[in-house]
Amino acid sequence: MSHFTKQGLSPFKTKRGFLNLHYRFSFPCIFSPSKRGIDTHASRHLDQKPLISDAELRFEFAHHDPAVARVNNGSFGSCPASIIAAQQRWQLQVLRQPDDFYLNRLRPGILHTRTVIKGLINAGDVDEISIVDNATTAAAIVLQQAGWAFAEGRFNQGDAAVMFCHAYGAVKKSVEAYFSRAGGRVIEVQYPFPISSKYEIISEFQKVLEKARSDGHKVRLALIDHITSMPSVVIPVKELVEICRNEDVDQIFVDAAHAMGCTKVDMQEIGADYYTSNLHKWFFCPPSVSFLYCRKSETLPDLHHPTVSHEYGNGLPIESSWIGTRDYSAQLVVPEVVEFVSRFEGGIEGIRKRNHEKVVEMGQMLVKAWGTNLGSPPEMCSSMAMVGLPACLGISSDWDGLKLRTHLRECFVIEVHIYYREPEDGEVNPVTGYARISHQVYNTIDDYCKLRDAVNKLVNDGFTCGLLSN
Amino acid sequence: MDEVPRANGESNDHSNPSKKPKISSSLSLITQLQIQQEFAHHQDGVARINNGSFGSCPASILAAQRRWQLQFLRQPDSFFFNYLQKSILQSRTIIKNLINAHHAEEVSLVDNATTAAAIVLQHIGWGFAEGQFHKGDAVVMLHCAFQAVKKSIQAYVTRAGGSVIQVELPFPVRSKDQIIAEFQRALVIGKANGRKVRLAIIDHITSMPSLIIPVRELVCICREEGVDQVFVDAAHAVGSVHVDVQEIGADFYVSNLHKWFFCPPSVAFLYCRKSPLSLNLHHPVVSHEYGNGLAVESSWIGTRDYSSQLVVPEVLDFINRFEGGIDGISKRNHDAVVDMGEMLAKAWGTVLGSPPDMCPSMAMVGLPASFGISSDDDALKFRTHLRDHFQVEVPIHHQAPKDSKVGSRNGNNCITAYARISHQVYNKVDDYIKFREAINQLVHDGFTCKVLSQK
Repeated sequence: MSHFTKQGLSPFKTKRGFLNLHYRFSFPCIFSPSKRGIDTHASRHLDQKPLISDAELRFEFAHHDPAVARVNNGSFGSCPASIIAAQQRWQLQVLRQPDDFYLNRLRPGILHTRTVIKGLINAGDVDEISIVDNATTAAAIVLQQAGWAFAEGRFNQGDAAVMFCHAYGAVKKSVEAYFSRAGGRVIEVQYPFPISSKYEIISEFQKVLEKARSDGHKVRLALIDHITSMPSVVIPVKELVEICRNEDVDQIFVDAAHAMGCTKVDMQEIGADYYTSNLHKWFFCPPSVSFLYCRKSETLPDLHHPTVSHEYGNGLPIESSWIGTRDYSAQLVVPEVVEFVSRFEGGIEGIRKRNHEKVVEMGQMLVKAWGTNLGSPPEMCSSMAMVGLPACLGISSDWDGLKLRTHLRECFVIEVHIYYREPEDGEVNPVTGYARISHQVYNTIDDYCKLRDAVNKLVNDGFTCGLLSN
Repeated sequence: MDEVPRANGESNDHSNPSKKPKISSSLSLITQLQIQQEFAHHQDGVARINNGSFGSCPASILAAQRRWQLQFLRQPDSFFFNYLQKSILQSRTIIKNLINAHHAEEVSLVDNATTAAAIVLQHIGWGFAEGQFHKGDAVVMLHCAFQAVKKSIQAYVTRAGGSVIQVELPFPVRSKDQIIAEFQRALVIGKANGRKVRLAIIDHITSMPSLIIPVRELVCICREEGVDQVFVDAAHAVGSVHVDVQEIGADFYVSNLHKWFFCPPSVAFLYCRKSPLSLNLHHPVVSHEYGNGLAVESSWIGTRDYSSQLVVPEVLDFINRFEGGIDGISKRNHDAVVDMGEMLAKAWGTVLGSPPDMCPSMAMVGLPASFGISSDDDALKFRTHLRDHFQVEVPIHHQAPKDSKVGSRNGNNCITAYARISHQVYNKVDDYIKFREAINQLVHDGFTCKVLSQK
């Protein structure tokens, strides 16, 4: 195992104790176990290894259950074998001599990860990047701060947060737990689904903000998804952030849980105040790790990690790098992941482009086979697509959607997320169920053929959700 | 990539994939050789006498954990829907029985004691924000409370307008009666001017300096003095001392399981006595289960690796391979650490910081005064020096003597630093001899901490 070497500069101390020793060093550094310098660009260079072969790719995902048509990368992501192995090497290092690890190696490793991410997302400063468990944690950080703002009188009772009706369920709960509880009002933006263009979203969003203004509700926080979860659609965040700025929204938080590895992520272009994305969904990290970007600004408040430890008050990135004894290994393998994606043609850009093309192709194949429709135009699909299910399946509630998903898993060995869409008044024979299909590098066309054939069989057999027991 | 380990007789049964295969010799006790193998991943050559900081985990538990991790990676959706919740409930039920709680819903699994403190203190913070508590209402804590907990009090209580009463405990200490008397005195003074005490935070085993605190007696004092709620920070307790939450009588009680209970990093439980006041505790990372009770909220806080929470059944199996189970382990650890502590104190001409009955599986051993350890910074540097030059891992506590007549003496000088030695099942006498010799060497060389400041 290589040892971390402090290059040149001595640690400086603060009054607060040993965990505030910050080691400054120059790059490239020798970090066990990969011994690579920082690769801030995920694209392949000519002097690197040859492209990953099909056999190597199969090996990397050989731990997936081979019987399952796994078309739901969106929910829990996936992690290649070589990254799992790298993670285990980090874990063993900790177990071998934890004191030495936590005191000397952990923080530099996290700083390395933060620096890599800064490069990937075009952030201005590494101090803007904190590493947390998942987007759910990031949401709690941003919303807890809003709760304090009410308690401390910076926000007034009735000040508003704006979010989409299709915002992620856990985030809605977090808004309830921190914003509503503290006295804030929540305004939801509705938009139709199926959707035909991004302008439908933009115009609804604009209308809501204008109405808030005319009703005299100060909008303190806008929560915007970059890619909604269910139903999954790429949201025009750049345009929405501009609208927020024009409307004087205090804080803009983009929940981009799916974005990294799935769509283009550029902090300067998007221009939000806070931006979070998971790295274990579409960026091949093990469960779990995500980043929270906080734009450097004189006017934005200090954020804190809710699990308060020794580093409280030293800035969110440092606070987040120590929240008590736990397994930080998932946060340390980001450099190895960057190496992994560089083995694909075009790096992460190439991967997501191919995933997108494939998922649209497969989606169109399925709608043709089933006589249904996609839930959005291709340009609003990421590496996921919403594919209408035959109306005769009789999906008439969220619960039906879940039952059908379970039925597909247990009887057809297919893993796919099902969305229930409430029909509009007057719709005839509406498509009320959509399968959210994903495409990641390990998927093959057989996965989607299996799904196609399973649904066809259900239709042929006269199956309806009503037949499934609760 | 690692294959899922297959031992003799293990079936390909995915309904309970982490279950250890039954070995026909499971009735026989674990041998010394097997213990060595279980901890063979510890770094060779290091006298690892600091189990208290980060704990330790045997190889067979790590293997069980990997099986859970691989099961998730293999088919995460199925894992989430079919296995996760019931496996967490199984762990919670084992802990409920271990600590004599009445209901499994009183037991929540969280990452560590630091997280548990945030949960309890955020709840207090809301009390201020929502007007149930008034500005100036107080929280009581021990002066030597864990630094992270102090920060959490600052972040949630002080920030919300609460005040803090610190109880200074004597150290070195001669008996638990000193602690009880001091706590009573400080609480009464703190409550003067009619200040309402909303929460008392009491360590079961303090971290630095490490002592067993008479929690049962202190909880009684709190009740008598009208303290609203009592939170016992027992980060070190489970696997180290007997834990009975009915006997202790606190409202909230947290202990880590990765320190002295052989779980992998990291897992802790937070016990919340069933009462109207405990209904409104929430995990700060809010997810789908918000509002369904803390235990259920804590069982899903977004996608992450929950595997360390799932191996508690396997840990129980491991522990039961030792004579007397966890009680036997903790008793032998205690006896050994006191033995070793007394051996070191005798060799160095110093003393223990507390009587043996106040030592858990750790002991505070006075260091020679000649080292001149005169600050926390010196203590940290000295610890680093021991690690880098002698391959001894041991935390050092600096204790400023209040009065040279009162402090413990080492010859004609006052002891200003104590080593916190731990003993866990993997330790050997050689570990402590190595430490003894290192200190003797340093004394012989005329070492003082001034030398370290020059680096």
